[in-house]
Amino acid sequence: MKPPLPSAPPIRPASEQEDRIKHLPAEARTAFHRFQAGGDPAGLDPVIFAILDDFIPRHTAVPLAALPGASRLIDDLGFDSLAITEVVFFTEDLFGINITNEEIIQVRTLDDLRGFIRRKVAVPAQR
Amino acid sequence: MPPLPVITGLGFITSIGHDRPTVLRSLRELRHGFERVEFFGNPDLPVKVAGTVKGFAFPTPNWRDWRWPEPFAVDRELLRGLAPHGVYALCALQQALADAGLAPAELTDGTTGLFCASAGSPFLLGHFLGQMHATRGERGNPMGIVSSIAGTLNFNLAAHYRITGAVCGFVSACASSSHALGYAMDEIRLGRQQRMLVVGAEDMTAESIVSFSSLRALSQNPDPASASRPFDRQRDGFVGTGGAVALVVEAESVARARGARISAELAGWGQAGDGHSVAASHPTGAGLAAAMRRTLADARVNAADVGYVNAHATSTPAGDRSEALALQAVFTAAGARPRVSSTKALTGHGLSLAGAMEAAFCALAIDEGFIPGAAHLAEPDPVCEGLDLPRISLDEAPRLVLNNSSGFGGSNVCHLLRRPA
Repeated sequence: MKPPLPSAPPIRPASEQEDRIKHLPAEARTAFHRFQAGGDPAGLDPVIFAILDDFIPRHTAVPLAALPGASRLIDDLGFDSLAITEVVFFTEDLFGINITNEEIIQVRTLDDLRGFIRRKVAVPAQR
Repeated sequence: MPPLPVITGLGFITSIGHDRPTVLRSLRELRHGFERVEFFGNPDLPVKVAGTVKGFAFPTPNWRDWRWPEPFAVDRELLRGLAPHGVYALCALQQALADAGLAPAELTDGTTGLFCASAGSPFLLGHFLGQMHATRGERGNPMGIVSSIAGTLNFNLAAHYRITGAVCGFVSACASSSHALGYAMDEIRLGRQQRMLVVGAEDMTAESIVSFSSLRALSQNPDPASASRPFDRQRDGFVGTGGAVALVVEAESVARARGARISAELAGWGQAGDGHSVAASHPTGAGLAAAMRRTLADARVNAADVGYVNAHATSTPAGDRSEALALQAVFTAAGARPRVSSTKALTGHGLSLAGAMEAAFCALAIDEGFIPGAAHLAEPDPVCEGLDLPRISLDEAPRLVLNNSSGFGGSNVCHLLRRPA
């Protein structure tokens, strides 16, 4: 894996963000808009599940949101390193955050990811 | 005697059809695959016609926006690493395997290899590099390289089909998939592999085709019914196309043992460089003539025995002239007069796809007992004097068929196909 990026990417203009999420389900778009308007990061779950669903190599029989939070991204859901990298890049760009390789290696389960993104987007310096 | 390579499966995603019956009808009835197009949404571009691949759409670099015709299935897992021509290739290979009566599980034991040819995807590569520049190197699509560089076909198809035999990509521009097929024949003749999958493909995008406008190689004729007219006096350049063709090549003994239907034998191949120019063909077609002679020698046949030549002729003034002179040197000078046509009059020029596509057409001609006519030929160039260019397709069953290809840098490759014994 490469070293972390030198700096956090800039927050994208609103129109670019809209373009980025236009293919996500309405529930996810609404949750993202609510967060953008100052909402609680805890409400971001629909966005996180939509992003995972968008990059998952093979769709699961059960919706991701209905799976146990302890489900492992790689061993249980079939993610590989490339798909996880895609999730990381998309998430970084969407929220204007920087995720290092060291951080993402610690994220193993759905709950890990939800908690990680909530914490990450809640830090003003990272937004 | 070394093992004899034979063709047992064909798959087509082409401007003239996405299945064997449609392609066959197009070749027999000389139905072309051209449509008016507006590349880059620019009505001022002088290039107005292309060999479109119907039912497929790649409107953006995002695979979520891509569409393909109903009968074909493309796994989501695979799609993220594919270029548009990778989607074509997968569909063509699915068809070829079904035609050969092979299940994917039969390809994984190391006796099957995979040789591919494409120029990569200028469409995706341009997008990814643009993204990289825009973010000053801070962002890139993790699948950017494997989906866009030359080699993307073999990367993807080898992994998807779990190929553990020989895997390689070939890059010699418009001779690429002819090289892939020739070396696939060698893998079988040398006993290294029992079966080879050969796939040639190209994107059908502005990025792949309009680049040739700078070389002044594209036709500016806006009429789909006459823009591509190889060997015609009025020809003014080639018409671009994309798509994919897949061939299943097996050792004859292996094919017969499993009761596979053999459409044609691959009796020989040969290649020769022009040693002349990076982009232009040799003025007298010296390299192509040498490649034809080496192919005939490899197959141990005389020029007079060849019934049909599927010419490389792309409809460019210089290239067709060189090939006409090469054909005269090899055939006319030997007192031979095979039928000659270029099916690019119907399909357009598929670049890396061309050699495999036309080899598959030759196999169809042998298997179905016909010779494709020289479509759109109104007035043959006087340089074609002595060549037999039938204006319509003929109900003649050729026993020996020669397939010609030439690429940039003067790479010339030919195959000789033979009716099964």
